[in-house]
Amino acid sequence: MTPAVSPATPIVFVVDDDISVRESLELLLRCEGWQPETFASAQEFLLRPAALGPSCLVLDVSLPDLNGLNLQTRLALERADMPIMFITGQGDVATSVQAMKAGAVEFLMKPFKASELLQAIRESLECSRLALAREMEMRILRSRYESLTPRERQVMALIVSGLLNKQVGGELGISEITVKAHRGQVMQKMQAKSFAELVKLATRLGPHRALNLSSSVHVA
Amino acid sequence: MESELICAMNISSIDVDGHLGSRSDLNVLCGGEAAATEANIGVAADTSLPIASLESVLCTEELQRRPSRAPDFEKENRALVKLASALADSPGTIFQTLALTIQEITQCDSAGLSLLTRDGKKPHVDGQRFYWPAICGMWNPHLGGGTPRNFGPCGDVLDQNRTLLFRHFERRYPYLIPVSPAAEECLLVPFYVEGKAVGTIWGIMHSDRRKFDAEDERIMGSLGKFASSAYQALAHIEDLKIQVAEREKAEAEVRQLASGLETKIRRLVEANVVGIVMFTLEGAITGANDAFLEMLQYTQEDLAAGHVRWRDLTPAEWRSSEGRPIAELKETGIFRPFEKEYIRKDGSRVPVLLGGTLFEQGGKEGVAFILDLSEQKRAERALRRSEAFLAEGQRLGQTGSYSWRVATGEITWSEQLYRIYELELGVPVTLELIRTRVHPEDLTLYEKMLEEAPRGGKDFEWQYRLMMPDHSIKYLQAVARATRDRDGQLEYIAAIQDVTARRLSEEARDKARSELAHVARVMSLGTLAASIAHEINQPLSGIMTNAGTCQRMLAATPPNIDGALETARRTIRDASRASEVITRLRALFNRKETATESVDLNDATREVIALSLSGLQRSGVLVRTELADDLPPVTGDRIQLQQVVLNLLRNASEAMSTVDDHPRQLVITTDRDGRDQVRVSVKDVGIGFEPQAADWLV
Repeated sequence: MTPAVSPATPIVFVVDDDISVRESLELLLRCEGWQPETFASAQEFLLRPAALGPSCLVLDVSLPDLNGLNLQTRLALERADMPIMFITGQGDVATSVQAMKAGAVEFLMKPFKASELLQAIRESLECSRLALAREMEMRILRSRYESLTPRERQVMALIVSGLLNKQVGGELGISEITVKAHRGQVMQKMQAKSFAELVKLATRLGPHRALNLSSSVHVA
Repeated sequence: MESELICAMNISSIDVDGHLGSRSDLNVLCGGEAAATEANIGVAADTSLPIASLESVLCTEELQRRPSRAPDFEKENRALVKLASALADSPGTIFQTLALTIQEITQCDSAGLSLLTRDGKKPHVDGQRFYWPAICGMWNPHLGGGTPRNFGPCGDVLDQNRTLLFRHFERRYPYLIPVSPAAEECLLVPFYVEGKAVGTIWGIMHSDRRKFDAEDERIMGSLGKFASSAYQALAHIEDLKIQVAEREKAEAEVRQLASGLETKIRRLVEANVVGIVMFTLEGAITGANDAFLEMLQYTQEDLAAGHVRWRDLTPAEWRSSEGRPIAELKETGIFRPFEKEYIRKDGSRVPVLLGGTLFEQGGKEGVAFILDLSEQKRAERALRRSEAFLAEGQRLGQTGSYSWRVATGEITWSEQLYRIYELELGVPVTLELIRTRVHPEDLTLYEKMLEEAPRGGKDFEWQYRLMMPDHSIKYLQAVARATRDRDGQLEYIAAIQDVTARRLSEEARDKARSELAHVARVMSLGTLAASIAHEINQPLSGIMTNAGTCQRMLAATPPNIDGALETARRTIRDASRASEVITRLRALFNRKETATESVDLNDATREVIALSLSGLQRSGVLVRTELADDLPPVTGDRIQLQQVVLNLLRNASEAMSTVDDHPRQLVITTDRDGRDQVRVSVKDVGIGFEPQAADWLV
């Protein structure tokens, strides 16, 4: 009856103290092909380890222990890439503004239309998926960068900052030939098809790497 | 000079100088015989008559010239012996006997005796007058009369210190004119005691049938000596009589005292209120009353048989301390009461109080009283136990008590109160010391209490807080009752309960209850709707989600019929849950019919105060209650009445929320208003400073 759920199936967490809400959402979410996980309190939810795949959270504002807004604050620190949608039985403007400013994806009043919630969940999961993909990409990029030797990292930093090979050689006190050899290694290890792509990759790795590099240059 | 001087008194006479002369001494001297006759020495003195000279009325020298009869010594002796025996037999009538003897021997018409008054208590009277204690013959009716000392025949005799013979002395002494029959001749002889003149004896001839002669003079001299002896003897006898009488009187008093005392002692012994024992210093018991014997389970037979012995009665460990009372007895004759134990006949012990005395100091016998202290010891134990119970009870109940004598400032605390205030046990308690513990915010209340207390008469009930040195807070509830002691001094007896634990645990419940009450008060239609919406939205949300799911399942290809059925079932379940919520809300807001009952307004008010107290305290409001004692019950719905009181309290509290410059005090009063109305007033000191009173009449 219920579709089989693979580990990669996106997980939709529901935290609400009302059983009607929890159970109805569980059916709906499963029907949509997601993996629902429901909790009656914030504490229960916090005990569960963070999901590895795409996930999002449907959160009731008023909970018996930690209220929804407080839970949101905590999650912003621990699971920043998990989008949150609020549902509430007694909404007011102040609460909704606070929730949205803290990064909520949606703020729905009970009773809400299933389609509205589903739309929001879909968008949230997409966000989550993209964030995960970005994270994955960065992880690959970082591992490539980590495969560079210290000298290759120095050469890479200097060339992406716009220096010519000769200037790099002068800066590092090595011959232009040697600079060219290092540059070839960098392009290969970083899997950059062109110099322009290398510059883009370097930018994604972050300016701090270049900064670290330059400081290490001066030390050397 | 007075023109008329009449003396007609029974026991007093007036001399020419106007002096009062007492006769009481002579009444004693003469055994009362000389009394009774009035001395009618009334004088209608005609001052125009010349008073004859003394010489002209005296004819003493004639006695020697007159023919005299021969001395009859035998007759004289007989008379003297007769007088002597009369003196011995009936001294009371000796003067009368002497007068008779004079008359008989001298053959005169009247004979008698004059005595100087003798009154040691009134010196001006002493010797001022002559008095006639005995007269026989024709002048007998004048018994008890007399003459002045300084102007009369007797006085003349004493002045000249010799026998005098007068002829018609009334010529010189006019006050004698009415004394009839008139005296033709009067022979007067003085007599002395220890060289001091005390009186005269005299004989009178009322006619010239016979004249006194030398023999009469001699005999009278002899009789005068007898008169002197008789006077002395009589005086001694009188003194003796007085002494005897006094002694008898004293003895009678002693006898009466002794018999009274004996009766009392006998009653004491026989009443058997205390045990009484007669003993000797050697250690023998010579007598004991039943109380003592019963105390020790002995009988009078045991005592008589010598079976009751100190050694057997006294436990071994007490024997060494027996020396002190015995030493005391020997030294002072008594021994001070002390407590010891005796052994009963059956071997059990009885605590006693023992005291005693010797009958005479230095004697060997004495009496001791013994009090059975069993009851007292039991009572002492019971008292100690009940004190311990009280202390323990106070400890368990977290309740201390104190008394406060307002006039002297004397304060007595129970142990538990020291513990509550966390003060060292026994530290002298002063109002100042208490103040150091009172919570700063409650000091005003404390001051007010101190100010009102001495005016007195009113019972107090108040709640206040303590702040301990570590800044922890204690909540106390105090009830004080005003009493007056025997001197009419005001004294408060109070119980103070530490209600901190209760207060804290109640706070949660109070909060819930007061919030519910608050909800009921502020619930407008809008907030009611919002509340209902919140309750209803949960299941409604479930219903809508389920409906959406159901729709999706049916719209799928192929349609998920089983899933749709399941969601439909859940939809129905959620709908019934919504229905339940509505039923519950209806029960909460749609109250059943109002219950009319008899309500004690004070009780109802106290409940409301208890319900709101923690909230009021959080708002810094001091609550004071002044509930009247004599309120009749009112008829109404208790809950609604309480709701009204609660609203009054809340309004008052809110009205004071901006008050910071003076205490936020709230006074709740109940009293009678007229015959059949009862009033609850809530006063606050809110904005405007004027107490605002909200009266509510039932």
